[in-house]
Amino acid sequence: MEIRFTPAEEAFRAEARAWLEANKPHTPRPEIDLKAQRAYDMAWQRTMFDGGWAGISWPKAYGGRGASLMEQLIWFEEYARADVHDVNTGFVGLNHAGPTLIACGSEQQKATYLPRILRGDMVWCQGFSEPNAGSDLASLQTRAVIDGDHLVVTGQKIWTSFGNIAEVQELLVRTDPNAPKHKGISWVICPMTLPGMEIRPIKTLAGNSDFCEVFYDGVRIPLSNVVGEINDGWRVAMATLSFERGTAFLSEQVRITRRVEELVELARKTPGPKGRMIDDDEIARRLAQARAEVAAMRAMSYRSISLAARTGVPGAEASLIRLFFSELTQRIDALALDIQGPDALGGFDRDGAPPPHTWAGHYLTGLSQTIGGGTKEIQRNIIGDRYLGLPR
Amino acid sequence: MDLNLDAEQVAVRDAIRGVLAERLPSARVRAIMTEEAPFDAAVWTAAGELGWFGLAVPEAQGGAGYGLPEAMLLFTELGRAVAPGPWLGTVLAALALGGRPEHAGILGGRTRVAVIDDPQGALGAGARLSGAVAGIADVGAASLLLVLGTKAVRVAEVRGVTVAASPCIDPTRRLATVTFAGVDASAVPGDAEGLRRVATVLAAAEAVGVAERALEMSVEYGKVRHQFGKPIGSFQAIKHRCADMAVRAEVARSAVTYAAIAVRDGEPDAGFQVHVAKTLATGAALQNATDNVQNHGGMGYTWESDAHLYLKRARILEHTFGSRTAHLDALVAPWRAA
Repeated sequence: MEIRFTPAEEAFRAEARAWLEANKPHTPRPEIDLKAQRAYDMAWQRTMFDGGWAGISWPKAYGGRGASLMEQLIWFEEYARADVHDVNTGFVGLNHAGPTLIACGSEQQKATYLPRILRGDMVWCQGFSEPNAGSDLASLQTRAVIDGDHLVVTGQKIWTSFGNIAEVQELLVRTDPNAPKHKGISWVICPMTLPGMEIRPIKTLAGNSDFCEVFYDGVRIPLSNVVGEINDGWRVAMATLSFERGTAFLSEQVRITRRVEELVELARKTPGPKGRMIDDDEIARRLAQARAEVAAMRAMSYRSISLAARTGVPGAEASLIRLFFSELTQRIDALALDIQGPDALGGFDRDGAPPPHTWAGHYLTGLSQTIGGGTKEIQRNIIGDRYLGLPR
Repeated sequence: MDLNLDAEQVAVRDAIRGVLAERLPSARVRAIMTEEAPFDAAVWTAAGELGWFGLAVPEAQGGAGYGLPEAMLLFTELGRAVAPGPWLGTVLAALALGGRPEHAGILGGRTRVAVIDDPQGALGAGARLSGAVAGIADVGAASLLLVLGTKAVRVAEVRGVTVAASPCIDPTRRLATVTFAGVDASAVPGDAEGLRRVATVLAAAEAVGVAERALEMSVEYGKVRHQFGKPIGSFQAIKHRCADMAVRAEVARSAVTYAAIAVRDGEPDAGFQVHVAKTLATGAALQNATDNVQNHGGMGYTWESDAHLYLKRARILEHTFGSRTAHLDALVAPWRAA
C-alpha cells in the first residue's frame, strides 16, 4: 500500500501543472448568461484541445489524451489546484455522449461528432428524463415511429441542462411500446434545430434557467442517427450512466477540499459572538468535521481509483463516493451560510439570482447535487441492491 | 499510489480472520467475558506463535517486518470479533520495547501489557510515577504497564501499582483506576507522541472492524427476517439505512488506511491524517452499531443478540486515544492561531 505517486506520475503532474498555469483562463467564468458561459467554456475547451489535454480519459485513437486512471486523477487534482472552472456546458458531450459514441457508435457517427466535442465546437444536452419518467427512467413514453429511413418522434423531455444553447441531444425514445419497458427503447442523436421541436427554459430555484423542457411534435430524425441497434437503447444508456457515476465527478470532488480551506479563511475573518466565527466551538468543529470528511473522501477516491487501475473496471464503490460527496457538499454550503450570517443573504437580483461567485449561489445550485444524475434515494437503492446485495 | 491490499496483505488478513472465526466466535467471547479479567489464553498463545504482536516489528527485533498497515489489519479483525484482552498495549509494547528482556515474552504471547495514555503528564515526568489515572482497560489481564507520558515512554510492573478494576459498559472489558505511589518506571528509547499516533490508528482500525461487522449483521438480517411477507432488507427504510452504513464504513476504512500509510512513511501530514481517521472511524462505529441495534428490532434490544457488544465496544473506542471532540479540536487549533 502506497500513497506516493511514481516518478513518472510525478513528472506527469509537473507537466500538467505547468501547462495549466501557463494556459488557464484569467477571467472568472460568467454567471447566469448561458451564451457567455458557452463561449467561455468552448474557448477553454479549444485551448485544452490545442494543448493536447482535451478528452483526458478518451482513447488516443479518437483524439483523446488516453491518460491512465492515475494520470486522470492527477490531472483533475491539478485542474482543481489551478482553480479552473469545469467545462460545464461541455459536460454532456465530454462525459456522456462522447464516451457513449466511442463505446456504441458507428464509425460515421464517431467521425462526425467526436472531433467537434473535443475541439469545443459542439454542445450536447441530455434528453432522458420526462415528466412521468424521473427516477423510473425506463418508463419513458416519448414515442418514435419508423417511417421509411426516419424516426418520427412525439413527446416531451424535461430537465435538459443547456437545452437552449446545445446543437445536439442524446435522446431516449420508445420505439417498441409492446416490449417490456427496458427492451423497447432506442438511443438517438437529435439535432436541436429540427422542425417540430420547441425548447422552453425552466427557471430553477437558483434564479437561472440552466435547464429546459423540450417538446417533440412529429420530429423526423434520420435512422442513421440511432446509436447501437433499434430497441437496444437501454443498454447504450446504461453505458452512459455508468460514466456519470464513475470518474466524471472527480474534479468536483477534488475542488471541494479547496472550498473547505476557503471556508476556514472566511471563519477566521468573519466576526462572531466570541470574537471570530472560528472561535465559536460549534462552527469550528463543524468545519473540522468537514475538513476531515473531505480528506477521507480523497482517500476513498484514491482507494476506488487504485482498485479500478488494478482490475480495469470501475468498482461499485463509485456509488458510495457519489452519495457521500453529494451530501457532504451540501453540508459545506450550509455551513458557509451559517458562518457568513445575514451577510450571505443579500445582493440578489430581481429575478432571484444570487450575486456571482458567492456561497449563497453554491448553496442554492448545490441542492441539485442530490437530485440530478440519480437522486440520493436512487443512489441508496443502487448501493443496497448492487453493493450490499439486499433483496429488491 | 495504491490504497488497496496486496496479495500478501490479503493473506495476512484472511489468516487472522480465519483463526478468530474458529477460535474466538461470539459464543467464546461470551463465555470468557464473565471472567474477572477477560482474555482468551489459548488465542493469546496462538497469536504469539503466529506473530501477530510483531507484525509491525522489524525482523531484526524478532518481528514480521511489516508495517503499521498490517497491524491495522489485525485490529480491524479484532474489532470485528469484539475480541477481549489487552491487545493494544501489547502490540504497542512490542513496538516500543525492542531489545529489552521483556520483548521476547511480549512477541511470543507470554506477556500481556496494558497501556496508559497520559499526555498531560498526570503521573509526573520523572523516573518515579505518582498519582492515579482512571479508565484504564484490561489491566487485570496484564503484567506490565506501558505509560505514554508527555514525551517519555515508560514501563512499570502491574504488581507495583494499585488496581481498582470494575465492569464497564463493554462487558468484554474491565476498566480500572490505577494508582502509582512513587513507582519505579524505567524510560525506554522512543517518543510517546509517535507511539500515540500508532495507538490512535490502531484504535481507529478496531473501530473500522466494528463498523464493518455491524453493517454485515444488518445486511444478513435484512435478507432473512421477513415482515409483511417480504424480507425487511427490501424496504427502503432498512435498505437506505444500510446504504448509509456502507458509506460510513468505506469512508472510515479509507481514512484509516491512508493514515496508517502516512504514519508508516513519515509523511508531513501524518498527524492530520490520524486526527481525521480517529474522528471518522469512531463516528462510523458508533452510528453503524446504533443502526444495527435498530435494524434488528426487538432482537436488537436483547442481551442475546451480539448487536449491543459492538455498540458498547464503540463507546469504549470513542474514548481510547482521544474522543472525536478532542481530535476535531486538534484540527481546529492551528486555524485559531493568528
